[in-house]
Amino acid sequence: MPDPALELRGLTKRYGAGVVVGPIDLTVQPGEFVTLLGPSGCGKTTTLNMIAGFVAPDAGSVHLAGRHVETLPPFRRDLGVVFQDYALFPHRTVAENIGFGLRMRRIARQEVARRVDEAMQMVRLDGLGDRRPGQLSGGQRQRVALARALVIRPSLLLLDEPLSNLDLKLREEMRIEISTLQRRLGIATVFVTHDQDEALTMSDRIAVMQGGSIEQIGAAREIYEAPASAFVATFIGTTNLVRGTVASATGGTLLLTTTAGPARIAGPGHYPAGAAARIVIRPERMKLAKPPEVPACATAWPAQVIRLIYLGGRTEIHLRLQDGSTAVSYVVNEGSIRWREGDTVAAWFRPEDAWLLPS
Amino acid sequence: MSRRIAPHRIVLWTVVALIYAFMLVPIAITATVSFNAVDRSYFPPRGFSLHWWAMAMSPQWTGPFLFSLKLAALSAIATAILGLPLGLALRRPAFAGRGVLLALIMGPLVLPSLVTGIALLQFLTIAGVGDWLGLPALIIGHVIICLPFMVRTLSVSLESIPRNAEIAAASLGASRLVVLREVTLPLARSGAGAGMIFAFISSFDDINLALFVARPGQQPLTVQIMQFLEYGFSPTLAALSILSLLVPLALVAVFGRLVGIGSFIYQDHGHA
Repeated sequence: MPDPALELRGLTKRYGAGVVVGPIDLTVQPGEFVTLLGPSGCGKTTTLNMIAGFVAPDAGSVHLAGRHVETLPPFRRDLGVVFQDYALFPHRTVAENIGFGLRMRRIARQEVARRVDEAMQMVRLDGLGDRRPGQLSGGQRQRVALARALVIRPSLLLLDEPLSNLDLKLREEMRIEISTLQRRLGIATVFVTHDQDEALTMSDRIAVMQGGSIEQIGAAREIYEAPASAFVATFIGTTNLVRGTVASATGGTLLLTTTAGPARIAGPGHYPAGAAARIVIRPERMKLAKPPEVPACATAWPAQVIRLIYLGGRTEIHLRLQDGSTAVSYVVNEGSIRWREGDTVAAWFRPEDAWLLPS
Repeated sequence: MSRRIAPHRIVLWTVVALIYAFMLVPIAITATVSFNAVDRSYFPPRGFSLHWWAMAMSPQWTGPFLFSLKLAALSAIATAILGLPLGLALRRPAFAGRGVLLALIMGPLVLPSLVTGIALLQFLTIAGVGDWLGLPALIIGHVIICLPFMVRTLSVSLESIPRNAEIAAASLGASRLVVLREVTLPLARSGAGAGMIFAFISSFDDINLALFVARPGQQPLTVQIMQFLEYGFSPTLAALSILSLLVPLALVAVFGRLVGIGSFIYQDHGHA
């Protein structure tokens, strides 16, 4: 098996006043797209800067394709980096910007020209080689930055919030464009973002970060459907979190008592009777019905509809449970919505549609 | 439909015209005075003669004139050579002694250059290098006076460099020295150019400091004019004034075009 494209072991950076990033352990396989996702200040950019060599770690190691690099300066690491502010050279043309890394590698002039042309075609910038960055739109600048990073055929591509400065429509296009390009080139990529939609759209795996460490690493589906912590559950998507106590555990099924009503969960993990736990129910799995329509094995809680929010593809229904807490249910808009504000309904879910977290 | 000019436009143009008149009329008067046919600075001039222009271009004046140009050019270059590392160092947000360094550089701004001149004279004498008086001392003095401008204009240029451009260059394989050569310095060029032009003009204009540290045979034009004035005003000085106005102006125009300093002065950086 080939060496991983990137391997971080116990990577740590200490700032003053007890602020610590790490220890970070992370492995990125060749061709893999891994996203560091988290709110600002979670340490994702510091981690990226340590990989690139812009920030010196206090402990731990960085291996790039099996090579020890944490003592190497950035210019010897052979990485492609794309920055949030593009960081283009304003005094150089688009072609000169893209060719910079090749020139630094002392590649022959004709070869540089050929590869720059190729890179410009790849990011659909043909014919703009003589422009200056100041004459380009935000999306075009981003493409120049991408081409400049890719043209050196780096062993690893680092993307630091590259889409944050673009407007929504363009951002959505660029997500697809970047991940298509990444797959075609098969280049291992670490992507830093605070935007969960970007992370879900583009990544093979997502590392959710908080307070300087990785809370969970996994594929998008795993992160969303089997969150490892309440933070992950609430940071990605919307979640109904209900506290309860395990009443009994028989076979694979747990019975819990909660202030919203009893619940039946087909959860993994071992919870003895009397243990406190939190139930995670995603809004699209929280269904609404009249009490007689609820399937036999499902959990059903009495609820009152307090608000309907029409969102085009779906309607968001805000509920008040019997303990006074609120919950959200998504209903796909494929017919007319049965419910009106003020209706009393049963909010129900199947045992396998809920997830359990230790309290 | 007749086009009427709005009243506020009339006021605006009047004020602008007055300001221009205030600045340019004295120069125009000086220029005309230099064409007097008699040895008096009459205005309007009596008769017409190029005699005073010929006098102004005699070796008595071309010597100091060329000396002033040389002094100004050398001062501007020395200021740039010293200002660049200082400007680069001051970009770092915090290091021990940053405040002191900044205060030392900016000090001469608030100090009358007369005081700087006296201090420099005394210092050189006490230090036993009194024979530096003349060109070397003048250059030292002018660098002290011009450094604040250079460091200021440079820092404006350096701050306009995209935050990550240098880091990006490093990631693309450029060592620190190459980053400096390929990214930092080219982008600091307009600031350095503006600083050099300020330095050139300040040096060319200076008399306060030069009065103390010049020596016979190594005197800038300003000091020479000052000494000549003790014997009365002659139209030669009017001609000299115009010459000493035109030469730096021409230099600034040419040099400004070369380094693209216009965009610096007019606040338009031309790049995002």
